[in-house]
Amino acid sequence: MPDLIRFQNLSKVYGSGNTEVKALWQVSMAIAPGEYCSIMGPSGSGKSTAMNMIGCLDRPSSGEYFFDGQDVGQLGEADLALIRNRKIGFVFQQFHLLPQLTALDNVSLPMVYAGISSAVRNERAAEALTQVGLGQRLHNRPNQLSGGQQQRVAIARAIVNQPLLILADEPTGALDTQTTKDVMAIFEQLNAEGITVVMVTHEPEVAQLTHRVIWFRDGQVLNDHMSPEDMRQTAFFT
Amino acid sequence: MDFTESFKMAAKTLAANKLRSSLTMLGIIIGNASVIAMVGLGEGAQQFINGQLQSLGPNVLFIIPGSRETRELGGLEVPRNLVVADAEAIATQVPSVKAVAPENSTQGVVSYRNRNTNSTIVGTTEDFLTVRSFEVEKGRFLTPLDQRRNSLVVVLGNQLAERLFEGEAALGKQVRIRGITFDVVGVLEQKGSSLGLNYDDSVMIPITTLASRIVGRTSPYGIEVSFISVSANSQESMDTAEFQITNLLRLRHGGDDFFINSQDTLLEIADTVTGALTLMLAAIASISLVVGGIGIMNIMLVSVRERTQEIGLRKAIGASQQDILVQFLIEAIILSALGGLIGTALGASSILVISVLSPFEAGVSTSAVLVAVGVSGGIGLFFGVVPARQAARLDPIVALRSA
Repeated sequence: MPDLIRFQNLSKVYGSGNTEVKALWQVSMAIAPGEYCSIMGPSGSGKSTAMNMIGCLDRPSSGEYFFDGQDVGQLGEADLALIRNRKIGFVFQQFHLLPQLTALDNVSLPMVYAGISSAVRNERAAEALTQVGLGQRLHNRPNQLSGGQQQRVAIARAIVNQPLLILADEPTGALDTQTTKDVMAIFEQLNAEGITVVMVTHEPEVAQLTHRVIWFRDGQVLNDHMSPEDMRQTAFFT
Repeated sequence: MDFTESFKMAAKTLAANKLRSSLTMLGIIIGNASVIAMVGLGEGAQQFINGQLQSLGPNVLFIIPGSRETRELGGLEVPRNLVVADAEAIATQVPSVKAVAPENSTQGVVSYRNRNTNSTIVGTTEDFLTVRSFEVEKGRFLTPLDQRRNSLVVVLGNQLAERLFEGEAALGKQVRIRGITFDVVGVLEQKGSSLGLNYDDSVMIPITTLASRIVGRTSPYGIEVSFISVSANSQESMDTAEFQITNLLRLRHGGDDFFINSQDTLLEIADTVTGALTLMLAAIASISLVVGGIGIMNIMLVSVRERTQEIGLRKAIGASQQDILVQFLIEAIILSALGGLIGTALGASSILVISVLSPFEAGVSTSAVLVAVGVSGGIGLFFGVVPARQAARLDPIVALRSA
């Protein structure tokens, strides 16, 4: 099976001259469809840049990034927007729900940009919300929901266009222990249904729940397929 | 994403921020209302003045004494006034003229029993009726015989008769003007004022009587008049009449010491003046429209700042630059077009109020409405482009991180 995500000697450099920052330097790695993995690393390690790269929010300075067989570096802004819309679902630490919209409308938003009719939108959004256990909260606004519920709305929004990949940036960073468990259970469930899940996190307890940990440091992959044991130690020393 | 969806989304965002949206619109509302009201007012004034000028009567020429040249001759030579003899000469020697009415006037107290009123005492001739298209309501007007005899007869303006006699029949009564007793022989029909002259409030006596008994003979050349109004045979003979009168008076006076104005020339002058006035009012009002547009741009810029995260999120879930650009542009256009519409309604209703309260028959001009609404929509587009481009170009990564 071809890789869903493949970095080939990928570098991302910000600025130039004295202020040049090598956020990623000649990274090569691959993630296969159906994987459930996390990306870890101290701040400045390049993990955020890697996430932006994977999410097609940014293009490499050199090297290649193939997503689902497409060379992202060669694509224009509109094509990237299309990939983000159809093939990737984003989940953020701060949820990023629009406060003026109900849960249903928030979940519908990606489908609006996909050009889907409003009847179909409402049906599919309600389905997605039911799937994350919020079938009773369709018409609440974000400020009427708890943090865990808001994150579940965000997950529903991420899966509503049936993406190949869910990309989560510190998805549990703003949640307490119990809701973290609930949210991770949902990710586990989605992965079991065949969706590739990649999350950036700095919490070892969260990373442990995934099947693979990619460790970044100084813009390079330090350790791939780290065992939970190794990880506990590394986490201890950093 | 199609247009309807963008429109709905923009409307939803604006509705979520009602106070801000309406305050933003206020600038455009005021701008638009003032443009509509000012242009309407200007056009109302134009129509009012045109109406006044037209009530002077068609085919009428006015001969007014005085010219720059005579004044430039120096203090020694007194500018020669028009006299009754000039009017008689025009009447007898200019074939393209139908009627000639010399006029002179003074202010004075007119009294009947114990009632006094200050009014204009107009000295004129029988041709006054023809030239100024007046009708006699009761009795008769002045006659050539009255002129020759310096008769002490008076024809009253309609309102003055009403005020002095309070419903009593005025005909056959006697009024005192400057202490001299006059017989009332007629009352004119009501006509309203034109160019500030209101004959309804005046009394008409033979011009010879005015000269001999009231103002005195002040000119060495004959009975002085303040102006002569002339009625030409037809609209076509106006130019001929003007030419012939000019020649005749030049011959009689030995120079150009008079002006000849027609209703047309007066209309032209008035049109130029009121047109300039309307343009000026519109220009001033459109400044506020531009200020309103800048207000929209300002708020939209703040809004882009404020909604950085929203924009970042929209981009992350698949909005293209164009989607974001269109959304913000539509927001700006909705604000300005809606403001324009409300402003137009406001301006139109204020014009209706003005036309009720003032003599100006101010109308809502369609062109002004079209221009104002078009311009305000254009302003939304113009001033919306900068913020919308800023929003569209935001880097989604930066936008999402700016918590």
